[in-house]
Amino acid sequence: MTEIKKILIANRGEIAIRIMRTCREMNIETVAVYSEADRTSLHVRYAHEAYYIGKAPSSESYLNIEKIIEVAKNCGAGAIHPGYGFLSENANFARRCNEEGIIFIGPSPEVIVQMGDKIMAREAMTKAGVPIVPGTKESIKDENEVLQVINKIKLPIMIKASAGGGGKGMRLVKNESEIVSAVRAARSEALSSFGDDSVYIEKYITSPHHIEYQILADQHGNIIHLFERECSIQRRHQKMIEETPSPLMTPELRQKMGNSAVEAAKAVNYTGAGTIEFLVDNDLNYYFLEMNTRLQVEHPITERVTGVDLVKQQIKIARGEILEYKQEDLFQRGHSIECRIYAEDPDNNFMPSAGKIYKISEPLGLGVRTDGYVYEGYEIPIYYDPMISKLIVWGKTRDESINRMRRALYEYKITGIKTSIKYLERIMNNPNFIAGKYDTHFIENNQEELMENSGCEECSDMVIIAAFIDYLQKISSRQENSKEFALPQSRWKKIPYINHF
Amino acid sequence: MAIEIKVGDRIAWVDLLGQDGNLLEIEVDGKILKVDVMHTADGTFSILENGHSYNIELVPGKQPKKYTAYTLYQEFEVEIIDAEARYLIDRGAKGFGSTEKNISSPMPGKVVKVLVSEGESVTEGQTAVIISAMKMESEYKIPMDGKVKKVNVKDGDTIEGNQILIELE
Repeated sequence: MTEIKKILIANRGEIAIRIMRTCREMNIETVAVYSEADRTSLHVRYAHEAYYIGKAPSSESYLNIEKIIEVAKNCGAGAIHPGYGFLSENANFARRCNEEGIIFIGPSPEVIVQMGDKIMAREAMTKAGVPIVPGTKESIKDENEVLQVINKIKLPIMIKASAGGGGKGMRLVKNESEIVSAVRAARSEALSSFGDDSVYIEKYITSPHHIEYQILADQHGNIIHLFERECSIQRRHQKMIEETPSPLMTPELRQKMGNSAVEAAKAVNYTGAGTIEFLVDNDLNYYFLEMNTRLQVEHPITERVTGVDLVKQQIKIARGEILEYKQEDLFQRGHSIECRIYAEDPDNNFMPSAGKIYKISEPLGLGVRTDGYVYEGYEIPIYYDPMISKLIVWGKTRDESINRMRRALYEYKITGIKTSIKYLERIMNNPNFIAGKYDTHFIENNQEELMENSGCEECSDMVIIAAFIDYLQKISSRQENSKEFALPQSRWKKIPYINHF
Repeated sequence: MAIEIKVGDRIAWVDLLGQDGNLLEIEVDGKILKVDVMHTADGTFSILENGHSYNIELVPGKQPKKYTAYTLYQEFEVEIIDAEARYLIDRGAKGFGSTEKNISSPMPGKVVKVLVSEGESVTEGQTAVIISAMKMESEYKIPMDGKVKKVNVKDGDTIEGNQILIELE
């Protein structure tokens, strides 16, 4: 077993703080790195040590492999946790850590390469007997090949970039006439986004559910799964709400998919925490989609129902320890939902909304957890992801969980910027969501129901009163001798300042 | 003193009729409301009206007398129109043209590409500038046919919210 006394977290935002929290509980020192835009960010303030690594754009800071390794060596960090995003699935970064004798908290560089390449991953899964979406085994050469494939698997199909991700290099083909342009477009987008123009074909699943499995694998060949996460509520191919257990799941399917997930991880000699993503159709057929070789954004819901701290397990696995759980030790207790709070305007095509946080009050109470990083007066940088926090609730049943989430969203108030909070509340009130009847097209299929309601006239009356009072207070404080208007409690507002003296 | 307050598209006429401590009698568009108003230490207005509890938060805007107000479910742009503001608006209406002739940024970000140049004839709907903020790119389009008078930004510039990017003739 290798001892780890100090961990550098090569990330920012909520996930950096999330990882540091577990480090504190394990008595491990934490090292933050930050870009020019993040000097006042909370992860810098939370850590034991913090070092500047470069300019605001991620390419000059959070993606600068050599700079981060240099900081780790100089401060004596024995391990690096990459979080999610940034360098978390960068095989070269994992390799460089190994070369410098720093533990990379994640799988081996070879596995990252194998799972990062969609065609290689599909091949490995076929060998392991894990079902994959019907399609081609190799990258396609020309349009004629596409026509041959269509004879076998029928339209609609997806043309996907082998190196793809994040919805780039993907084209849907519904008619034969679209093939030529779709292949060309997917290739050119793949080349410009990933530097590799190989594309392959997959059958398009019309009403898909996105269900993923959390797995843990130690360095001694033990692999377990921690059940599923239902992630079908998405906008722009990005998840908004996740829940576990999935309302679509049956006990038989859960076990079958869990076994497949473990087989998938075994097939590539996986180590650490990972996620196997599946597509499930309405007839409960499931297909391997991809494997994420890192911690997921939505990992807290799994933690909540299983009671397992996934970051702690990652660190223990990295130290070479044997998994402390066996498959039969694990159960899903109750129901957990996560809502992602984005700084964006849901009533205007989810346009990002950067700016300064004016006031924030976070939900509290039974069964509520928030993983966030912003505070009052904090200016959200324009350079990074618009996700500012995650709200996670637990309830004994799915109904209790939904009611609790609705209550927590009511309590959650962030002003100064636009956020997705009220939109999420509308989803919690949506009959289709409540019935558990949804797939990845939920947002577009329920667009009208999820629109902003026209609101109440009393509310606008009250806004007018508040603005009027504020105006009167300001006017009378500007005119020195005017005692014209003052609310009697105004002087109480001064007390915190008086106490300070 | 009666003034006008603009809330979203609504312009309301409001007056203070009476005050007893924090119990106020206020007239809004001819409707008389008896309210209990507390401006709490955390800056929120807690209003009780006929037994209902409302929390209103006012976030001061960049310009004086402008706010963004937050109620439980909604967000309103608020503007106080008193005598001074009225004077400025009247003067502005004569002196300056409509602001719709400009393209301005609704949020801070970075200019990815400027696609028009000064003096160029442009048509409505043509993409004028691409802005990137928080990993997402947005295209800003020309609002009406015309000619580009001034381009205030160039590729790679960092911009503020509400900054005028491109002016049209």
